Amino acid sequence: MRADQIPIYAEGLVRRFGAVVAVDGVDLQVNQGEVFGFLGPNGAGKSTTVRMLTTLLRPTAGIARVAGFDVVKQADDVRRSIGVALQDAAIDPLMTGNELLALQAVLYGIPKTHVKQRSDDLLERVGLTAAAGRRVGTYSGGMRRRLDLALSLIHQPSVLFLDEPTTGLDPMSRLALWEEVRRLNAEGTTVLLTTQYLEEADQLADRIAIIDHGVIVREGVPRELKAQVGAPTLVIAVPPDQVERARAVMQTFGELRTTAEGTLGVGLTAGAEAVSSVVRGLDEAGVRLHHLELNEPSLDDVFAEATGYRLEGAGSSNLPAAQGDQPQADPDDLLAPTGAKRGGRRGRQGRP
Amino acid sequence: MTATVSSSGRAMGTSDAISPVGHHAIAQTIAMSKRSVIAIIRQPALIVPSLVFPLFFAALGSSSFSRATGLPGFPQVDSFLALSLAASVIQGVLFGSTNGGAALAVDIENGFFDRLLASPTSRVSILFGSLAGSAVFGAVQALFFTVVMIAVGVNVHAGVAGVVLIVVAGALIGLSIGGFLAAMALRTGSAEAVQGVFPLLFITLFFSSAFFPRETMQGVYRTIADINPVSHLYEGMRDLVIDDLTLSAAAKALLIPIAVGCVSIPVALGQLRRRVRAA
Repeated sequence: MRADQIPIYAEGLVRRFGAVVAVDGVDLQVNQGEVFGFLGPNGAGKSTTVRMLTTLLRPTAGIARVAGFDVVKQADDVRRSIGVALQDAAIDPLMTGNELLALQAVLYGIPKTHVKQRSDDLLERVGLTAAAGRRVGTYSGGMRRRLDLALSLIHQPSVLFLDEPTTGLDPMSRLALWEEVRRLNAEGTTVLLTTQYLEEADQLADRIAIIDHGVIVREGVPRELKAQVGAPTLVIAVPPDQVERARAVMQTFGELRTTAEGTLGVGLTAGAEAVSSVVRGLDEAGVRLHHLELNEPSLDDVFAEATGYRLEGAGSSNLPAAQGDQPQADPDDLLAPTGAKRGGRRGRQGRP
Repeated sequence: MTATVSSSGRAMGTSDAISPVGHHAIAQTIAMSKRSVIAIIRQPALIVPSLVFPLFFAALGSSSFSRATGLPGFPQVDSFLALSLAASVIQGVLFGSTNGGAALAVDIENGFFDRLLASPTSRVSILFGSLAGSAVFGAVQALFFTVVMIAVGVNVHAGVAGVVLIVVAGALIGLSIGGFLAAMALRTGSAEAVQGVFPLLFITLFFSSAFFPRETMQGVYRTIADINPVSHLYEGMRDLVIDDLTLSAAAKALLIPIAVGCVSIPVALGQLRRRVRAA
């Protein structure tokens, strides 16, 4: 596929601020109809990359094309083709939802005759019809985010950029926004989503890239990235008198792993597909299973393997704790060392 | 410029619903102006001081200096209050323009400016939308002060046409002073920095003829007042109050703010270009 046919394409993208290299040679390809998750801690270069892709920041070096247009030479064409919901939902608190949608429609040159219908549809879609006449200053954080999303969709963009769309939202608002992103994607919108929440990327993204210190350190399909980190662990519980028989069966499928007392674990070399074979083998050996679970490596593990750090509170099994209107944590507070030196295991993906 | 439409019917380039930006620059400017005006109307805490303080200064000056009208060289006026009308408008516009500049800086601070830049909006319409808000507020202030002053006995010698010219001049002064404050907002991106300019503007006002006629001044103070553009902005409007309508008075009232705007608006445009290019 040619670069001008790819919704989002970047090659060797660099942005320097004085001596600081915020983005250091990012290569990126987001295909038609994908939800692409762009992961990294605060200050990793996510937002700077998005700002370059959305024409808000000129790259120091490299090329980027969005919706087929060069972000520097054809910036206006890019702007007409994309929807952007930036971090912090920058919305004028003195205006009402209706007024902001009307303003946004004028900015995108939407004919007056279409504005009312399109605004009403979008407000209904994001569940803000009842609040549309109220000033945005009276909206909750979740309502602002939803309005922000509606504003970014007023011109029916083919490519949507969501920069940390759920940061600061409560779990319910976050789930509602995820649902909306899925619906948009199902309708054909290509979405680039930046987030520090691994669960969010795992839930929404077809592919992800992890950026750290301005460099993409991993890129791929979440399931495959997790598989690269290690084999899934099958954990079983059996009656005490059948443990030895079970152990003998299990070790034919991979390396036995340390698990909680009273259970047996094995790293399935052949992957999750081997579970049925293990169960058959145990059955044939006369082992009666009390409990069985399969633990896949998480994106948190992928992140830690790639960067040497874990994103605290971003584990893969639970929604992150609600933050409400609490101030954002300091970037340093989000990082919890796992023992590996920062950047020590950093790698580079090849060009798309 | 042609549109490329994907198989889903969505715009890969220019959607069929979206015309080239150039055709919409005026509509965008009007929409942005409307937003500026809404922002002013919905913040009475910002409007009230700009309407009350000038009237307070007018009342104070009138009661303190009413007999000064007999000083040698003092212009022929009905009362000291007649001089205060134009001064009130200038003060009010300075207040209002500071708020307009600060609002633009707040847009930059909170990211709304980025939202505008991420859209295919004409960059100039962002600036002119903000300035139009200052101009409309300037006109409203001029009308308000004129009505209040007429109600307390001031006679606008230039008549109804004079009142109209005062209102138009108020709008032009709002535009021209607003240009400098918008430039400041675009340069610094800080509402605090823009608001910090206000004392400086007030000092400029005090070193002008807005509170006392230049004809009665001497020495350095007179020299400063002579070169102070605020003196000339003020006197253009003042002459419409104290003299009959003449072409020269009308021209002075309108052309001086236009001349100031010819400096301030290019400065603001330069700062806008700089900010957009620096991105």
